[in-house]
Amino acid sequence: MPFRIQRVPSAQPAVALAARAVAIILALVVAGLVLAASGANPIRLAGQVVGSTVGSTYGLEDVGLLVTPLILTGLAVSVALRIGAWNIGAEGQFYAGAFAATGVALFVPGPTIVMLPLMFIAGALGGLIWILIPTLARAYADVSELITTLLLNFVATLLVYWVATGPWLDPSGRALATTAKLPHEVPEFWGIVHWGFPVAILLTVVVAAALNYTRWGYEVRIAGSNPSAAKYAGMPFRRHLIMVMLLSGAIAGIAGMLEVAGTVHRLQGGISNNFGYLGIMVAVLARGSALGVLAGAALMGVILNSGIILQTQGVNVSTVLAITGLILLFTAIGDEAAHYRITRAEPANG
Amino acid sequence: MDLIAGLIQTSILAGGVLALAALGEVLAERVGVVNLGVEGLMAVGAITGIATVVAVPSPLLGFFLALLVGLLAGMVFAVATVYVRANQVLCGLALTLMGTGLAATIGKAYSGMPAPATFAPIPIPLLSDIPLLGRALFTQNILVYLIYIILPLALHYLMFRTRHGLDMRAVGENPAAADAAGIPVQQIRFWYVSAGAALAAGAGAYLTLAFVPSWSEGVVAGRGWIAVALVIFAGYRPINAVLAALLFGLITSLGFVGQARNWPIAAPVLSMLPYLGTIALIIVPVLAWQKVRRMMAAPAALGEPYFRDVR
Repeated sequence: MPFRIQRVPSAQPAVALAARAVAIILALVVAGLVLAASGANPIRLAGQVVGSTVGSTYGLEDVGLLVTPLILTGLAVSVALRIGAWNIGAEGQFYAGAFAATGVALFVPGPTIVMLPLMFIAGALGGLIWILIPTLARAYADVSELITTLLLNFVATLLVYWVATGPWLDPSGRALATTAKLPHEVPEFWGIVHWGFPVAILLTVVVAAALNYTRWGYEVRIAGSNPSAAKYAGMPFRRHLIMVMLLSGAIAGIAGMLEVAGTVHRLQGGISNNFGYLGIMVAVLARGSALGVLAGAALMGVILNSGIILQTQGVNVSTVLAITGLILLFTAIGDEAAHYRITRAEPANG
Repeated sequence: MDLIAGLIQTSILAGGVLALAALGEVLAERVGVVNLGVEGLMAVGAITGIATVVAVPSPLLGFFLALLVGLLAGMVFAVATVYVRANQVLCGLALTLMGTGLAATIGKAYSGMPAPATFAPIPIPLLSDIPLLGRALFTQNILVYLIYIILPLALHYLMFRTRHGLDMRAVGENPAAADAAGIPVQQIRFWYVSAGAALAAGAGAYLTLAFVPSWSEGVVAGRGWIAVALVIFAGYRPINAVLAALLFGLITSLGFVGQARNWPIAAPVLSMLPYLGTIALIIVPVLAWQKVRRMMAAPAALGEPYFRDVR
C-alpha cells in the first residue's frame, strides 16, 4: 500500500481549523436540507437571517445583546475545562447569579451607583455558592462534577420559577410570573447593548492573561493536562481545582446578574434562554483559548439570533437547539478527524 | 395503610422510567462508553410513542417504534464515538441537544394531547388480591414486570454468568487486553451502546404511554440525567440500577403525595426533591464508606476511545 492513514497525537492548528469550518458548514447544510424537506425555503430563510443579524445595525445590536451572556457562560465552562473539570452547570449558576442579584436589587435600598457593584458581587457569589457542593464533592470524594453540576441546573430553574411566581411575584399585579422591575439597570453602551458587553470582554481578557502569564495559570494548565505530573511536581492540585471551579461558577453567576440587570430587568422563569448549555458549545468551539471564547460566542450569538428570526418565519425555536446539537456533533467528529493524516508508507525496515 | 399502598404503586410506576433508562446506560458504560445523550434519546422516544398511538392506537407498537428509533440514533452516536472515536462527552451533549430540540419541534402538534391509548394497569388474578401490598405490586402495566424483573435478571445473567458477559466487561475494563485476546472490541462497543440507546428511548415511550401519559415540552425534565447519575450510584450493576430507580420513584411520589395533601411546601420546591436526592445519594455513600469507592468503581476504560495502534 503506497499510502497509509496515520493518527498524530495533536492536530495541526490549520488542519483543526479547516476541519472545524467543514464541520460547521456540513451541519448547516444538513439543517438546511431538513428545513427544505419540511417545506421551508432554506435559501430564502438564509438571506433573511443574514440580513437581520449581521447585515444591519439593529441585527448587530441584537447579536451583541445575545453575545454578552454567551461570552461569560462560555468563559465559565472554558476555565473549568482548563483544569479538566466539566462544568455543565453554568445554566444553574446563571440562574443562581440572577436570583442573588435580584434579591439584592429588590430588598436592599441604595443609589444605583452603589447598588450595581453590589448586585455584581451578589451575582458572582450566587454562582459560586451554586457550584460549591459539586466542587467539594469532586475535590474530596472524586464525585463526577459533570453530573452534580448538571442536576443543580434543574434545582436552580425551579428555584427561580418558584420565587418569580410566589414570594417575589410583582406586587403591582400587572405582571404574571415575574418579579417587579428592578430599580437599577446596567446602562446602555451602544444602541440597546448594555455595558455588560465590554465588561464580559474585559473579564475574558483578564482571565486569559491570568491563565497564560502567571505562575498560577501555568500550574492550572499543567494540572489540567496531566494531574499526576502536577501532583508529582508538588503543585497543590486540589487547591487549584477548587479555585478554578469556584471561579467558573462565579463567572456564570455574573452572566446571570448582567442578563437580569442589563437585558430583561425582571427575574422570571426561563430567563437563562439555555445560555448555560450554549456556553458549553462556546467553550468547545474555543478550544481552550480566550480569543476563541469571544469568537465562539459571536458565532453562537449569530446562530441564536437566527433562531429568533426563523421563529418569525414559522420555524420552531426548538429547531435551533437541534441545529446547535448537530453543529456540536459534527465539530466533535471534525476535531477527531483533524488528528489523521495521510502519509506515504515507509518501506518496512527488516 | 391505603396511603402506603398508593405510595408504593406510584413509586414503582415512576421508577420504571428511570430504571429502563439506567439499564440502557449500564450497557453502554460497561463496555466503556459514556452516553450523555440519554436525556435527548428519552425525548425522542417519548414523542415517537405519542405520535404512534395517535396514528395507530397500539401502545405496544409505540413502545417498539421508540426502541427502533432509539436504536438508530444510538447507532449514529456509536459510529461517532466508537469508530470515529470522537469525544464522548461532546457527542453525548450533542445527542441531548438534538434529541430535545427535534422532539420539541415535532411535539408542537401533540402538545397537551392526552395519549389516546396507554399501557393500562392489569391486575394479576389472585396475587393482586393479597391484602395491603397486592394491589400495589400486582396491579401494574405489563412494562413494569419487564423493567423490574425480566430485564435486570436477564442482563445480570448475561453480564456476570456468561462468557460473552466476561468479554463485554473486559472491553470496558481493558480494551487493549481484550483486543489481544481476540475479542472484537469495536463491534461489542457498537452494539451495546446502540442497544442501550434503544432502552433509553424506550424509557421515553414508557414516560408518555404509561406514566404521564401525554406529551409536553420538557416532559423528560432531567430524568435522563438522573438515570446517568443512578448508574454511578448503582455501581454499574443492572439489579442495583433498578433498585436505585425504585428509590427515586419513591422520592418522586413523595412529592406527589405532598402536593395532593397540601403540605405547606410549594410545588416547585417539592419538584426539587429528585434532583437534590440524586446529588445526596451519589455523594454521601462515597464519603461515608471509603470501601464503597473501590467496590462500585467505574469500568477502568470508561470514556476512553480505543486506538489499537496508539498504546
